[in-house]
Amino acid sequence: MKVEIAGLKLKNPVMTASGTFGYGEEYSDYVDLNRLGGIVVKGLSLKPRPGNPPPRIMETSGGMLNAVGLQNVGVDVFIDEKLPFLRRYDVVVIANIYGESYKEYAQVAGKLSRAKGVHALEINVSCPNVKKGGLSFGSDPRAAAEVTRCVKAETHLPVIVKLTPNVTDIASIALSVENAGADAVSLINTITGMSIDLRARTPHLKNITGGLSGPAIKPVALRMVWQVAQKVSIPVIGIGGIMTAEDALEFMIAGAKAVQIGTASFINPCALVEIIDGIRHYLDENKIKNIKDIVGTLQT
Amino acid sequence: MAKDIYMGEVSRNEEIRKDFFLMKVTLPSGFVEPMPGQFVMIRIAGLNDPFLSRPISIYSFSRGRSNCSMELLFRVVGKGTRILAGLIKGSLVEISGPLGEGHFAIPKAGNIVFIAGGIGIAPLSLFAENLCRKVCRSSDAMTFYLGAQSADGLIGLNRVHKYCGNIIVCTDDGSAGMKALVTKAFQKDLKKYDPMDTAIYACGPRPMIRALSGMLDAEYFCQVSLEERMACGVGACVGCAVAMKDDLGQKTYKRVCSDGPVFELKDIVWE
Ligand SMILES: Cc1cc2nc3c(=O)[nH]c(=O)nc-3n(C[C@H](O)[C@H](O)[C@H](O)COP(=O)(O)OP(=O)(O)OC[C@H]3O[C@@H](n4cnc5c(N)ncnc54)[C@H](O)[C@@H]3O)c2cc1C
Ligand SMILES: Cc1cc2nc3c(=O)[nH]c(=O)nc-3n(C[C@H](O)[C@H](O)[C@H](O)COP(=O)(O)O)c2cc1C
Ligand code: FES
Repeated sequence: MKVEIAGLKLKNPVMTASGTFGYGEEYSDYVDLNRLGGIVVKGLSLKPRPGNPPPRIMETSGGMLNAVGLQNVGVDVFIDEKLPFLRRYDVVVIANIYGESYKEYAQVAGKLSRAKGVHALEINVSCPNVKKGGLSFGSDPRAAAEVTRCVKAETHLPVIVKLTPNVTDIASIALSVENAGADAVSLINTITGMSIDLRARTPHLKNITGGLSGPAIKPVALRMVWQVAQKVSIPVIGIGGIMTAEDALEFMIAGAKAVQIGTASFINPCALVEIIDGIRHYLDENKIKNIKDIVGTLQT
Repeated sequence: MAKDIYMGEVSRNEEIRKDFFLMKVTLPSGFVEPMPGQFVMIRIAGLNDPFLSRPISIYSFSRGRSNCSMELLFRVVGKGTRILAGLIKGSLVEISGPLGEGHFAIPKAGNIVFIAGGIGIAPLSLFAENLCRKVCRSSDAMTFYLGAQSADGLIGLNRVHKYCGNIIVCTDDGSAGMKALVTKAFQKDLKKYDPMDTAIYACGPRPMIRALSGMLDAEYFCQVSLEERMACGVGACVGCAVAMKDDLGQKTYKRVCSDGPVFELKDIVWE
């Protein structure tokens, strides 16, 4: 079940998705963290962020919208107060980071690289580039590449770039960050959407729009993973609507070397462990010795 | 790893009033004794639509020899509660809980006042029962203000009668008790309650809580149970945020599910 991604040795290919597992502690009563392939923590910024006003979430068919607004404790508090808890476990810890400028990305990356117990960085490029009128870094191949270079220059840790699906050609962004030195890409982040309260004629979310996650987005995520995996030679991590081991395996067949589980944890905190066990079972049943042997085996 | 998702079996589900249901669920003995104000996340076993679990307060709890049983009092307002209402004896539900770090605190004060709007009676009446039975507070010390739109919405009064010596009932349309908002009825009596010797506990719709915050100055000890839409219920998604003052008086977003659902009224920031 072991997989290696950009030098990271994971016990298995199943990780948590950023923003859906807090800082690890929140679910530690339900899940044995030592069993996970990796823990990706809530997105961290240079300064603490209050987040968006409520309501922040809304259920939709087969999924949910969120506009949490990247509320987080900030990188310093994370290092001082949250990381010591994670160090007690034998698990790969990946810090998800974001900033509003290239400099901020670099500063957060620098601080985390000097902290003990962070094994890799995942760059969230879905946030608005304030200088560029709020267009997200991840929707412009040049900006995405520049963020990647800035972070790489500040760290010795493996760097994963997490791609946004809210673009016309995700594979070209993936190629661009690969050329800029990314060690892996993960995809997809949430798809922008909205929902309306018919009676009140108001949006359900105070922020009006939010990010869609859950099984509703799986077909889109699968398509994007497949497209990206064909273009890049760095490892691809598949994310989006994975609820079961079968879902995770489909992502691997499409070309993902590992997967992340997000919204599924909300409705079943044990989903991560059930998926790990389910993959094991599938490999045994199909007499597949090495999990690598199924990655990218899609027959077309 | 102390917590789990428990498989519960519905042992009774009765429509006690139009759109109000009292559901009794049998749970394995591992389920921890809840504190009044805590809640559970509930979903129908094996069903992914509605997608998210629903938060419901614990209305009553008892422990038998080989299992526990819990009652939930809920009102049908949408898809999730409609499906819960349709469950019959023997249906399986997945339950996580008891959840919430913020629960009602046992008062030192001599006067204990409860203010409930509609279904808000659920966590408060469990608290009244506990105060009477476990902390031996006299029912004379406890006053319960209950409000609803009309007589049909007044539920759970029988239980409150057992534990509270004084009960004031209000309806918006005057079909039972006083024709007034419950907060107005309470405000009339406010002079009677010495802030130094009164503890107030409230649960109900947001406008009711807001009205209370307008009439109670910070001298009063007042805890309120808040509601927000939830996804995870355990503090991981930060989806259930409410604006609160932090220790320095600055606005910050707290999580209803894990920092609450019970908060001090004076800490709420009204946006
Ligand atoms: C800590 C807590 C304890 C609760 N305890 C009880 C209880 O004991 N009994 C009870 O009947 N209800 C309780 N609720 C409210 C209950 O969770 C909602 O009524 C329920 O989730 C609605 O689901 P639905 O699918 O039927 O409605 P939906 O179709 O989801 O929504 C219908 C309406 O209810 C509102 N709503 C949806 N979810 C919530 C929510 N979580 N909180 C407030 N409003 C919501 C929506 O905005 C909408 O107006 C509690 C809520 C919280 C947060
Ligand atoms: C409530 C919530 C908060 C999230 N926060 C972050 C975040 O801080 N950083 C990030 O890169 N992705 C964040 N995401 C996106 C998820 O990590 C994931 O990419 C997305 O939800 C799709 O996967 P899923 O369908 O398995 O949830 C968040 C998602 C949700 C639902
Ligand atoms: S519902 Fe997820 S933090 Fe409260």
